[in-house]
Amino acid sequence: MTTIAPPVVRTKGSNRSSGGRSGSGSVTWMALPAFVWFVLFGIIPLFGVLFLSFTTWNGIGDISVTGLTSWKATLTDPGLPHALWITFVIMALSWAVQTPMSILIGVFLATSKRYRELLAVLYFIPLLLSSAAIAITFKALLDPNFGLGAGLGIDALNQDWLGNSTLAMATLIFIVSWQFIPFHSLIYQGAVRQIPTSMYEASQIDGAGRVRQFFSITLPQLKYTIITSSTLMVVGSLTFFDLIYVLTGGGPGDSTRTLALEMYQKGFQANLMGPASAIAVILVLVGLALSLLLRRLGGRADESQLEGV
Amino acid sequence: MSTITERTPSATVTGTPGHPRRKSRARGYNWFGGSLSWIWLVIVMLPIYWIVITSFKTQDTYFITNPLAPPTDLTFQNYKDVIEADFVRYFFNSVVVTAGAVIPAVLVSFMAGYAIVRGASNRLLRGMNWVFLTGLAIPLQAVIIPVYLIIIRLKLYDTLLAIVLPSIAFAIPLSVLVLSNFIRDVPKELFESMRMDGASEWGTMWRLAFPLTRPALVTVTIYNALGIWNGFLLPLVLTQNPDQRTIPLALANFQGQFGINVPAIAASVTLTTVPIVLLYAIGRRQLLSGLTAGFGK
Amino acid sequence: MINSNFSRRNFLGLAAGAAGAAALAACGSSGPEDKSGGSSGGGGGAASYWSLSGEPGEPIRQAAIDRFNKANPDTKITPTFFQNDAYKQKIKTALGADQGPTMIWGWGGGGLKEYVNSNQVEDLTDWLGQNAAVKDKILPSSFGAATVNGKIYALPVETVQPIVLFYNKKVFEKVGVEPPKSWGEIMALVPKFNAQKIAPFSLGGQSRWTNMMWLEFLLDRTAGSEVFDRVFAGEKDAWSDPAVLDMLTKIQDLVKANGFQKGFSSTTADSNADQALLYTGKAAMMLHGSWSYGIQKADGGNFVKDGGLGWMNFPPVEGGKGDPSNTVGNPGQYLSISSKATTEAKDLAKKFFSTTLVDDEEKAGWVKSGGVPVLKNSDSLFTGDDAAFLKDMSAIASNAKVFAQSWDQALSPTAAETLLDNIAKLFQLQVSPQQWVDAMNGVIGK
Repeated sequence: MTTIAPPVVRTKGSNRSSGGRSGSGSVTWMALPAFVWFVLFGIIPLFGVLFLSFTTWNGIGDISVTGLTSWKATLTDPGLPHALWITFVIMALSWAVQTPMSILIGVFLATSKRYRELLAVLYFIPLLLSSAAIAITFKALLDPNFGLGAGLGIDALNQDWLGNSTLAMATLIFIVSWQFIPFHSLIYQGAVRQIPTSMYEASQIDGAGRVRQFFSITLPQLKYTIITSSTLMVVGSLTFFDLIYVLTGGGPGDSTRTLALEMYQKGFQANLMGPASAIAVILVLVGLALSLLLRRLGGRADESQLEGV
Repeated sequence: MSTITERTPSATVTGTPGHPRRKSRARGYNWFGGSLSWIWLVIVMLPIYWIVITSFKTQDTYFITNPLAPPTDLTFQNYKDVIEADFVRYFFNSVVVTAGAVIPAVLVSFMAGYAIVRGASNRLLRGMNWVFLTGLAIPLQAVIIPVYLIIIRLKLYDTLLAIVLPSIAFAIPLSVLVLSNFIRDVPKELFESMRMDGASEWGTMWRLAFPLTRPALVTVTIYNALGIWNGFLLPLVLTQNPDQRTIPLALANFQGQFGINVPAIAASVTLTTVPIVLLYAIGRRQLLSGLTAGFGK
Repeated sequence: MINSNFSRRNFLGLAAGAAGAAALAACGSSGPEDKSGGSSGGGGGAASYWSLSGEPGEPIRQAAIDRFNKANPDTKITPTFFQNDAYKQKIKTALGADQGPTMIWGWGGGGLKEYVNSNQVEDLTDWLGQNAAVKDKILPSSFGAATVNGKIYALPVETVQPIVLFYNKKVFEKVGVEPPKSWGEIMALVPKFNAQKIAPFSLGGQSRWTNMMWLEFLLDRTAGSEVFDRVFAGEKDAWSDPAVLDMLTKIQDLVKANGFQKGFSSTTADSNADQALLYTGKAAMMLHGSWSYGIQKADGGNFVKDGGLGWMNFPPVEGGKGDPSNTVGNPGQYLSISSKATTEAKDLAKKFFSTTLVDDEEKAGWVKSGGVPVLKNSDSLFTGDDAAFLKDMSAIASNAKVFAQSWDQALSPTAAETLLDNIAKLFQLQVSPQQWVDAMNGVIGK
């Protein structure tokens, strides 16, 4: 938008450090503490899992190397594509619900009005509850016999929220959003405050209304934040476990059984550590692919912003 | 959405016929945002309200009373039980574990993020970055047994440190990703001018990049802290002595053999949440300014 | 898994699973030399004991250990109690790393068999042969689930828990009907309760093992215990018996007739919401383990005291071949001794087994909690409010021609998981009876 006065510093962004030739030798060691730590407690165990995916093990007895047996069993199991699909649906829908809501709430809270500050404190509370506590709470509230609907006598609320396949998925997305929107709106709130007031003043002079300002200034300025927050949402959704486990146990039937739950059931309930490890490897690969994708999107966003400027 | 209210009234007087609502724009009430915010408040507060009132109910009246009605005979027994169950100790254990894990995790991740950005042409660093990316979606459940064995080998089993060390490792990938994306955004001229002034990379990192990265640092700190605070699996597998319990593990013991005692859980959730809410209410301005103190200002 | 018999609380499930695994177990199998973490007992007259936390079991277990430690001041048993789901996770991780306790608490059956196949637990056959007095104090029927390949690997402890049909007498009075005496009567009652907006049956369907109890009884009543015996023995296509299809169809008929409360598939047994439906009169009947009595008594106000709770063995099915005296449930809980423990710790555990765990105080403790002990000659202790219930449970357990262990406990964990998964889908009407049979035949013997 040509009407926008760019923030002073961003204009200099065209020449960014990432391409820099700065003495890289002197910085390499700075990455070492994180790297060593992560290798010790992250990568070594991961190799262990990779190894186990080529074995047969019940978790307590002897481990026998059986080549591709576990992989064959995993890849031919119709449960795998189903779990992948469910994981993807939860990821996509929860992102699609959370992102606009978080932005709207973040933008709304960014102004310094007293009552909004109070709202911000209250909005923050869900963030502090553990997934298990949240799941127990919603389970109680949504219970068709003892929950809200029955208590208030409102039939519309008295659905089989978690016992019907479609409704259970929708309910799950809602609860995930309830839990994580506070965090993301907090990030957006900070980011919105960072947008220079001068940009709005300029567009105001140009006659832009509230909605137009939102789309022409606020949203573009939030691009980096959107990428950060989306990364957290998408990668985070891969490893959701507690919430779904307590809420539906993957049910009804297998309607909400994600990869993480599938892995848990295979490994810890059915004692099939080999196939469970294969699923874990698949989960890691999906996560890697997603984060690469997001990085790439992030890169493009950088450039487009620069062009816009 | 009204993003800006701190403008001078003079900015609004240029209303044209084409924009009839301009006039009310700056001072006008944002009906859309306003109503949305109140609806959202109800959605957020209803379950919280339920947790609080349920914590004052007894297990035997829990199912027979209206879920939203305040308890008829208020009981503090749940709170008494929770406190008597040594909750203060568990609370401090959780504080130690969370602070002990998050602070080093964020610092080393920041250093790694800085190195990755500054040394982008270095193959070694690019390789390390790849390794971090691989770690983004490692499900903790999947690697818990190897982690357990490592902890035993390090002779750290049943100590708070046993929870802290892997927690740091699992916080690193996402933190590096978020922080490096943010550091990448710092204008290169600023680094150049630091270099001109004769600052070392080490000095540049802390004096220039660190303050400029504050919003991202605050974000990852909160994100990791919440995850570790509520973590269940690591404390379960890596400790045994009740003295080393953290809150989530202690909460679990409020479930009797015959089922969950929901009111007791509600009480412990309330009790452990209140201090953090207060902390947040007090420190909110600092938190928010932390989130805004990037180079945008 | 009725492991949860005592109800599983998912809550902790959060526990999440350590599904995966272990990796380094391989590299680490040399095993940590230092056993401090583990609790494997250590030397010097010390042994460790892991079991479940929570009422009513934990205080009784703790009391037994205190009693033993007091009587044997130079030795020490150290207990650690875990919440149900946490325990399952913890014990598996610990055993996988050779860090398990001296005494392993469990549910017998398929789970125990897996410990045996992995050489984790001691063979107690000879020891029990030498100590016949100990064996004689315990109900013989409880040893079945402790026996693998003809050898005994665990001591039956604690209580016998048959599954029975509970009903709310007040609701039956209000609707003006009698408790069912057959499957036909059950189906006839369903519309009568539904007409009064009362759920005929309460079911904690999300917990899955609750659904399984229906299959167990219906199959037993229609075809006797032999069909499942064939499955258990790993016979090919054992589920293809026409009685199985008949039983599955009956279950889906009951689901379709709204035999269970609205939202049954998202009701968990852990939260005791299924129990609450019965004592609040929102449901008329419930098929559940005998431990339900204690819950109804504790949570239901005056419901049990005022005689509101009725119970009976599952009624016969018209034309069925099964013996109506048969029952299903937990024939006991089980304590095994780790084969990795030191000789000293093992001896200490055996001393604990042969003294404290079979003494009269132990027996009285479990009776007081509302349970029927696995120890013989308990009937004289059945006095007071609970006498009628305890006597009936004891009679059901001892009169049963066959006291079958719950399927999910009897089968290997792998087969049990598939079973529970398919049962959930059956109740959800996601699979037809024939699809169910095909899926289950596919995992027989695995």
